[in-house]
Amino acid sequence: MATASRPRRKTVTSALPARPPEGTRPEPPGEPLLRAVDVVKHFNVGVGAVCRAVDGVSFEIRAGETVGLVGESGCGKSTLARVLTQLTPPTSGRVIFEGVELTGLRGESLRQQRKHLQMIFQDPFASLDPRMTVGDIIAEPLTNFKVMRGKAKDARVQELLRVVGLNPYFNNRYPHEFSGGQRQRIGIARALALNPKLIVCDEPVSALDVSIQAQIINLLEDLQAEFHLTYLFIAHDLSVVRHISQRVLVMYLGKIVEIAPSDDLYTNQYHPYTKALLSAVPVPDPRVESQRRLVELSGEIPSPLHPPSGCRFHTRCPIAQVPGVCSEDEPPLEEKAVGRFAACHFSARVRTGLD
Amino acid sequence: MTGFVSDPVLEVRELSTSFFTDDGEVKAVRDVSFDLAAGETLGIVGESGCGKSVTALSILGLVPRPGRVVAGEILFKGRDLLSIGREELRQIRGRDIAMIFQDPLSSLNPVHRIGFQVEEAMRAHDKVAPSEVRPRALDLLRRVQVPDASRRMRNYPHQFSGGMRQRVMIAMGLSNRPEILIADEPTTALDVTVQAQILQLLRDLNRDLGTSIILITHNLGVVAGLCKRVIVMYAGEIVEEGSTEQIFDSPQHPYTWALLRSLPRVDADRHERLRSIEGLPPDLIAPPQGCKFNPRCPFRLERCFSEDPELEPVGDGHVAACWVTMKRAYAEMGAGSLVDTRPGAASGVRPPIAPETPGLSGADGHGLAPEAQDRD
Ligand SMILES: Nc1ncnc2c1ncn2[C@@H]1O[C@H](COP(=O)(O)OP(=O)(O)OP(=O)(O)O)[C@@H](O)[C@H]1O
Ligand SMILES: Nc1ncnc2c1ncn2[C@@H]1O[C@H](COP(=O)(O)OP(=O)(O)O)[C@@H](O)[C@H]1O
Ligand code: SF4
Ligand code: SF4
Ligand SMILES: [Mg+2]
Ligand SMILES: [Mg+2]
Repeated sequence: MATASRPRRKTVTSALPARPPEGTRPEPPGEPLLRAVDVVKHFNVGVGAVCRAVDGVSFEIRAGETVGLVGESGCGKSTLARVLTQLTPPTSGRVIFEGVELTGLRGESLRQQRKHLQMIFQDPFASLDPRMTVGDIIAEPLTNFKVMRGKAKDARVQELLRVVGLNPYFNNRYPHEFSGGQRQRIGIARALALNPKLIVCDEPVSALDVSIQAQIINLLEDLQAEFHLTYLFIAHDLSVVRHISQRVLVMYLGKIVEIAPSDDLYTNQYHPYTKALLSAVPVPDPRVESQRRLVELSGEIPSPLHPPSGCRFHTRCPIAQVPGVCSEDEPPLEEKAVGRFAACHFSARVRTGLD
Repeated sequence: MTGFVSDPVLEVRELSTSFFTDDGEVKAVRDVSFDLAAGETLGIVGESGCGKSVTALSILGLVPRPGRVVAGEILFKGRDLLSIGREELRQIRGRDIAMIFQDPLSSLNPVHRIGFQVEEAMRAHDKVAPSEVRPRALDLLRRVQVPDASRRMRNYPHQFSGGMRQRVMIAMGLSNRPEILIADEPTTALDVTVQAQILQLLRDLNRDLGTSIILITHNLGVVAGLCKRVIVMYAGEIVEEGSTEQIFDSPQHPYTWALLRSLPRVDADRHERLRSIEGLPPDLIAPPQGCKFNPRCPFRLERCFSEDPELEPVGDGHVAACWVTMKRAYAEMGAGSLVDTRPGAASGVRPPIAPETPGLSGADGHGLAPEAQDRD
């Protein structure tokens, strides 16, 4: 490949279309980039059955931050991601982006806001249309939003390919000609096309080998620094989430059960579920592994069609008081220490150990 | 090699397996040799496409068309599985050597109840007395921690979660008290919580029943907690083998070293940029000349482009196939503080001739661009 063609990133920045004029809507000081307030998403599944995929979730994402979201399969991560990026409307609750309530917008004004919120998907194989060329895939948002046409668009596609570390002359190829890691780069190039402010990455590396996973994580970090991006990074692997994020949200059965800065998370937990998740992560060090003390969770994840009463975690929690407060009262997400939020009646006991 | 106490139950000798496709011969496994001792836990690691699964399928005589074993011996307790009859091999498979796959749904029959399938696994062989079959199925499902096993035996596979199906596969694999269990990425599709439970289960089986285990995975973290010995494969070949401590504490092949550094650690106390391995594993129809890792190796020398290194001892029971080895890379090329992991970055060695056309495989990697230092 042409080794001299790696562009200086600055050129790329200057080639990007200007953002809509700032100042039309000045951000109040301290206003987060995105705020989710009591977001609920229920699905009607068959007669009278309701799947409570996301069931009252509130949090904030500040500009320039990477927030991680972890939890077991089916806990509602992807559903939450789709609600935040306005791919699907919430059942109730509000999503506020740069002070504007997206959930109240319709039609063209919603479309314009959507430009700023992009998504990268888990499965780089399923998320790219096999009949479209890579160039067309990346250009699609530019075409849809009528941002660019003709030569300018082609040039932009080539720039984007370069930015994500692909050969710019690959624009005429088809997705099947690329490996998983390369397809994920294509998905990232497409997400970058409209110069978004927030990118929701839904398990972007879960389907990849560890070596390719590292390439993509490094790329996402480089792009964030270069283009001042804000990420919501979803994964079920806490080691990846902790590596890339400044703050981590832990989700269980449609609810956020703990919010913590990544730095503290490994040393202190205020929710037993977080502790169990951490104890399960494999560490590539035989000595650490031989000391492993797995916090065993009994049983399986309950169905979101019938979440347990009180604290939803009580059917699997190693310190639950059942029958008692845990099966009767739902613990609110409260600040347990500075910057540490958890939804548990017995947070203090989690800290002193579950063993 | 390693000081085994017992005789090996399985000896793989110079195994080579190829797929004869329209595009040419895919040399999926080349000249692979290793021993598995009774009661041992062995990990086989490497990126996808490095030949791990084909090695396992070769052992079991399950290589699909257009593939076949082209050379070598596979000795199970001294008998060559490649030269015995089909029926005999079928008996050994499932009875003496069992395998569990990454995707348990595709290995379970959707129209039969779970309990029936576990029982059938025993009826297919005559190791378990007929009167014992039913109680043993229940016992096995309890042992692999299927909750409420007596009721759930009557369920169908689609009524089980992914982790639960994998437990059923393990129960079936164990039903005939095999001497060897081969687990190919058994936890890759599962949540970490379930993964930890399955690994715990495999550890217990090895300890309590003495079953030998071969664990195949691309994640070195998974190997660290279960295996005593590790084989690292790259492009169809073994590039390093040693005890788990040797592989993790002093990996000698640059590929092993790089694999370890590409993993984020949940217990890291500060944020360090991950050391990715640039590029992709090679096309096994036309692998590169010399060392197959040379297009991605930061430490490559001139000779790496023409001469293929053999496995050589680098420690007690520890072998690696590399002209440089990490000992020298640390001493002479500053591997300890290497930030730029691009090919040739540490040694400054470029390929002898530039590739004529920009190929797909080069797309993930970068040449030695002048702004090499501007990252991090
Ligand atoms: N369109 C839908 N109709 C009905 N139920 C749905 C729909 N989409 C999601 N669900 C259900 O909502 C719950 C949450 O699903 P979601 O995909 O958000 O989980 P997740 O946390 O992303 O899981 P994973 O880690 O497996 O990706 C699940 O029980 C799922 O079956
Ligand atoms: N059925 C097949 N036909 C052609 N090539 C195959 C087939 N199965 C595997 N291969 C090739 O064999 C090589 C090794 O594959 P595999 O053992 O599955 O890798 P791993 O398990 O390490 O991911 C790869 O190059 C792969 O493309
Ligand atoms: S509230 Fe009770 S059941 Fe819920 S996590 Fe805390 S201790 Fe466990
Ligand atoms: S130094 Fe040479 S022989 Fe060793 S891994 Fe690198 S390319 Fe191969
Ligand atoms: Mg999901
Ligand atoms: Mg495989």
